[in-house]
Amino acid sequence: MSTSLAEQDVALIDLVDRLLGGGVVIAGDITLAVADVDLVHVSLRALISSVAKLEEGGLE
Amino acid sequence: MIELVAITHAAAPPPPARLRAIPVGGLLAVVAPATEEEATAESLWRREELVEELMADCDLLPVRYGTRFADDEDAAQAVAARHATLAAALDHVRGAVEVSVRVIGAEPRATHAALSELARDAVERPVQPPQVLRGAYLVDRDMVDAFAARVAQLQAAQPGSQILCTGPWPPYSFSDRP
Repeated sequence: MSTSLAEQDVALIDLVDRLLGGGVVIAGDITLAVADVDLVHVSLRALISSVAKLEEGGLE
Repeated sequence: MIELVAITHAAAPPPPARLRAIPVGGLLAVVAPATEEEATAESLWRREELVEELMADCDLLPVRYGTRFADDEDAAQAVAARHATLAAALDHVRGAVEVSVRVIGAEPRATHAALSELARDAVERPVQPPQVLRGAYLVDRDMVDAFAARVAQLQAAQPGSQILCTGPWPPYSFSDRP
């Protein structure tokens, strides 16, 4: 079902939000590989397309 | 290199395999070997599973992804420097988990108020259209079912809206609260 696929996308975006933007900040080296940037972009696109999908199909 | 994954109370049970606990005052700094792999969806989920496994048995503060130290001593020193703040934050999240809610096409203020009633604490994040609310709710572990039921109720009452709820998460959005 497209709904469950969208839910997975939303969960990934929520995960990226939290891992990269949440949690305690404690001094130390914060190293993030360049690939992260792509991941965040991909994730945001995924949310936008999920939302479009949900709106098309409704959510009965 | 080691990666700092979470802060727990010293009374927490031993962490799962692959994690190690360094005592710092009344706290434990839970660390994992640092890896050189690039972050991918899979590696982020693997990290999340580790933290959730740890969270199953104890209260914790998740640490920002990618926080690394040369050795145990460096990590212990950094945690010791913020000991009082961390202990207070850990008390604040004791017995609770985080639930994420994104809302599209529903009344954001009423929705946030109805969800906040069941939460110990709540934070709102900036949103971009079409989202009208992006909130994180700190919910007692035994209130998670009631919270999910409230989400379903709000969704049913506002046909055509989307209330996208995920969790329970470790308290990522409440780790710096007193």
